[in-house]
Amino acid sequence: MRVIARTAALGVLGLMLGAAGPADSPVGVPEPEGLYTGPPRGYTPATLKGATVVDLKGLEKLLPENPVLIDVVLADHRPQGLPADRPWLPTHRSLPGAVWMPGAGAAPLAPEQEEAFLARVAALTGGDKAKPVVTFCRPECWGSWNAGKRLVAAGYTRVHWFPLGVEGWQDSHDTAVAKPDPAWTAAVSGRAAQR
Amino acid sequence: MKRLMLALSLTLSAAALAPGHVRAGATDTDEERAARWSEIKTSIFGDRAVTASESAVKIDAPARALDAALVPIGLTLADKDNVKGLSFIIDDNPSPYAAHFTFGPAADPGEIKLRVRVNNYTNVHAVVETKDGKLLEAAKFVKASGGCSAPMGMSDEEAMKGMGEMRLKFGGEVQPGKPAEATLMVRHPNFSGMQMNQVTRDYTPARYIEKLDVTYGDALVFHLDGDISIASNPVIHFGFKPEGKGPIKVVASDNQGGRWEQSFPVPSASN
Repeated sequence: MRVIARTAALGVLGLMLGAAGPADSPVGVPEPEGLYTGPPRGYTPATLKGATVVDLKGLEKLLPENPVLIDVVLADHRPQGLPADRPWLPTHRSLPGAVWMPGAGAAPLAPEQEEAFLARVAALTGGDKAKPVVTFCRPECWGSWNAGKRLVAAGYTRVHWFPLGVEGWQDSHDTAVAKPDPAWTAAVSGRAAQR
Repeated sequence: MKRLMLALSLTLSAAALAPGHVRAGATDTDEERAARWSEIKTSIFGDRAVTASESAVKIDAPARALDAALVPIGLTLADKDNVKGLSFIIDDNPSPYAAHFTFGPAADPGEIKLRVRVNNYTNVHAVVETKDGKLLEAAKFVKASGGCSAPMGMSDEEAMKGMGEMRLKFGGEVQPGKPAEATLMVRHPNFSGMQMNQVTRDYTPARYIEKLDVTYGDALVFHLDGDISIASNPVIHFGFKPEGKGPIKVVASDNQGGRWEQSFPVPSASN
């Protein structure tokens, strides 16, 4: 029995070592049909149909083309029950030049918010659907997958998904303080932005 | 097993990222971090001058944390007889002021250890307040992220089981003339209020140890003002003067009205 367990463990380890892609998980998550509406945090698929999955090297290679960098990390939620006199100073660091639209990868998203997201990307790309776009959040976060999926569905032809997210970037590069995108913030209510 | 696999996969993906081109010298990032610290410093200490002194307090923290929700911090104070208080601040946490210790006459504040949540790659600061009112700071950079919002991996009910139970482990027999040490463990989820239930997508309200008093006989060892940045099931290592009488008493209270009290007999050769 012990031998079987050990063999199984080695097998799992082997599978993990063999997993080369940046979004690979030890459990092989399949792509959902449409947007992913499950728990926002968890293993993600290795692929995103219609988009290119990039690791750090891939992203670095793309940067000279000035892609639109879209960060969908959730805004920190002000804790319920935190005394009013405690300093609450949330800050977010992202890839330099990224546009931070907190929660834009949530699903479902209210129609007017989905519209606001697409309108914002249209403005950022200057209406050029062939302009490279990169979506990201944090590792094991479905938000950036969903954001990429939305852009593919909207007809963008050079969507890149960077599943390693801010963590994968800051290991070897500087980050910059990012403020929530004002146009996006105006389009969503406070509570929805934190989902 | 799931946790182990997750940890392994994170380690592997981290290893896959070649350590690279970190720019040397002053960058925008350095300036931004300095500005952030200055903002926090003002919010906590007002106009008082805080002087850099790497020798007054040494911060021991992993350069890269294995678990961002459980980052071990050690603080060693050089001039321990002249220490009144000690603050620990995690700059990039949304609630940066993690802990404030006030030491009493029964304290031997040479070393304090605690475990905290770290939300992002950040500077952490320790600020010592001396008995003559000086503020001395030291800093260290810690690589960890997601610690404040990391779910506990169990239901809230499960996390609250046995809440308030305490243990106190002594570093050995307490003898006059020898510095005494103890480690306090309090069972308490210390919910940050930033942890989302992945199924309901609701946030568990903040419930954390707000105040903690440790006394030896009639004398205060330390008082702690806590925060959501302290890791769940707080563990605090501290020193005390061995010359006290009676048990060590711990009183803890949280921000939702929970209050717990427990006394521990001091293992002593002379008793």
